Amino acid sequence: MTEPSRLERGYRRVLACYPKEFRRANEEEILAVLLATAAEGRQRAGLAECADLLRGAIKMHLGMSRSPRPVLNAVRLMCAGAVLTLAVLATVLVTLGSLRSDFIQNFTAAQWHTVMLTQIVPVLASAPIGAGVWLWLAWANGRGYDWARPAFMALFGVVTTGLLLGVGEGTALYAPADLIAATVLWLVGLAVIVLIFSKTASPYYQQEPAQQ
Amino acid sequence: MQEATFLILTALADGSQHGYGIIAEVQEISGGRVRLRAGTLYTALDRLRVDGLIEVDREEIVEGRLRRYYRLTPEGTERLAAEAARLQANARAALARLKPLGVVT
Repeated sequence: MTEPSRLERGYRRVLACYPKEFRRANEEEILAVLLATAAEGRQRAGLAECADLLRGAIKMHLGMSRSPRPVLNAVRLMCAGAVLTLAVLATVLVTLGSLRSDFIQNFTAAQWHTVMLTQIVPVLASAPIGAGVWLWLAWANGRGYDWARPAFMALFGVVTTGLLLGVGEGTALYAPADLIAATVLWLVGLAVIVLIFSKTASPYYQQEPAQQ
Repeated sequence: MQEATFLILTALADGSQHGYGIIAEVQEISGGRVRLRAGTLYTALDRLRVDGLIEVDREEIVEGRLRRYYRLTPEGTERLAAEAARLQANARAALARLKPLGVVT
């Protein structure tokens, strides 16, 4: 048996990013296509080719090629939810200065310090974790795990509570832009709930993981 | 239906094709405009198989490597025909409106 070429080894390294079950069924075939389409004398996998393969691998991990349309759209929305969570964080950071000057007019600097520590810092610190949870649930729902839907319900509960608390505090603590961003995030969560609990989506969650 | 999906189904309309064959056909059908990469192709093929629009026709080993041929299912043929008719109707309407402007003959 001949040694695999440097190009083949390179492609295999990128293909290793795909889920195991997909690789078992398709790796040799994809590799044959990659080698057939590679330019004569090429030694290394091209950047665009690798990026395309990695994008495919991410889609496969998120179950985006296997899931029914409503789940596929829900996964896209959950990825958008992760981005939006970071956008909420950015909005809070950007509006923090103006919020502080408005707050200081009515309260003392010590009170502002307390509010920062008890309410704003926890929001800022939890946002990256929140974005991670959105992505993790996108993966789990894309794969059709039966626990993924209740887990997303729990996340939606947290998002709803956060929004209600924010609305309760009103403009005293949050800028209108913060509340708008949080409302958009809540609406994304609501759309996800509708999609993953739709009639078309439900059978997907009742399959064995091996079938997905 | 996305353009890549439409072109893949079109490539399979007159017979089964393997992965490399589909890439070449799509390039030819689109006049060289669309060049599918392997990652995009196999994500689309996986999706089309799950949706029941294509299926594996046969497998061969060529020069020690697996070559899998895909073909349209009856449902895939139906969907492609419906999409082609829709695109044709849209194109006809656009051309009819452009004609008085002298942009098209």
